[in-house]
Amino acid sequence: MENTEGIMTEKESLELIASMINKAKNRVSENGTLYLLWGWLILICCIVQFVGLYFFNYADSYYIWFSTWIFLILQFFYIKKQNRNFRVKTYTGEINGFVWLAFFIGMVLVIFTSIHFKYYEIIYPLILVMYGIPTFLSGIILKFMPLIIGGICCWVFSFLSSFFTSEYQLLCIAAAVISAWIIPGYLLKANFKKEN
Amino acid sequence: MQFKELDPILHSQLRLAIMSLLISVKEAEFTFLKEKTNATSGNLSVQISKLKEAGYIEIIKQFNNNYPQTICKITTKGIEAFENYVKALQSYMTL
Repeated sequence: MENTEGIMTEKESLELIASMINKAKNRVSENGTLYLLWGWLILICCIVQFVGLYFFNYADSYYIWFSTWIFLILQFFYIKKQNRNFRVKTYTGEINGFVWLAFFIGMVLVIFTSIHFKYYEIIYPLILVMYGIPTFLSGIILKFMPLIIGGICCWVFSFLSSFFTSEYQLLCIAAAVISAWIIPGYLLKANFKKEN
Repeated sequence: MQFKELDPILHSQLRLAIMSLLISVKEAEFTFLKEKTNATSGNLSVQISKLKEAGYIEIIKQFNNNYPQTICKITTKGIEAFENYVKALQSYMTL
């Protein structure tokens, strides 16, 4: 674009504005890394705890969930690095970030309250309700249907898990993260590779 | 009917392209603007400086891993000027 001072007609000006807005808007900014990281981590935690409870009757298998704190620290450094290397920050990206921050705060409070009042049997259905909210909203913000469907799947599995014992509720969480984070994560990754 | 005058700062191909990109995002790095506008670095720098002088954009210069980084952000004055420019264009088009 070398012609900086050339005369533009009104129509050309409007066309230029529209084309630039589209170029900025159509950018795929989500590479799916965090969806995949958390999707696989939660899936592994669910399976390990389920195997521990179901096959070995090992009640302390829930310790595997403490690994999520390590990943939380890793995520902090990943986001910090990403923010440093950014080329463009969008309003949708910022809103999406706040949605996940609200989810994290909500999750901590839900787990704390459930344990505090000893409502252990409702922790997993509540976690699934919580998983569904940011996933669904991210799908709406990014206009990405697999995430919207994934969010709905979390709520369906939350409803179903109310009818199962805690071992089988773990399988509901596993199925939910496959549909809400792992599958959409791979689709986002593929889209990102194609666009960038 | 009186014609609204087109803002001469915005009525330039590259400056208008920069403003159209910046109005759609929160902030953008120089390399992003260069890639999307297909402009040369020198030309883009000159036009960005003009927009900054007019108070339409804010430029933040920082270092990232010892490399200089230039971040551009549209200002409130820039948003108003852009909206007025589009309104003026529309008034011409409806004639």
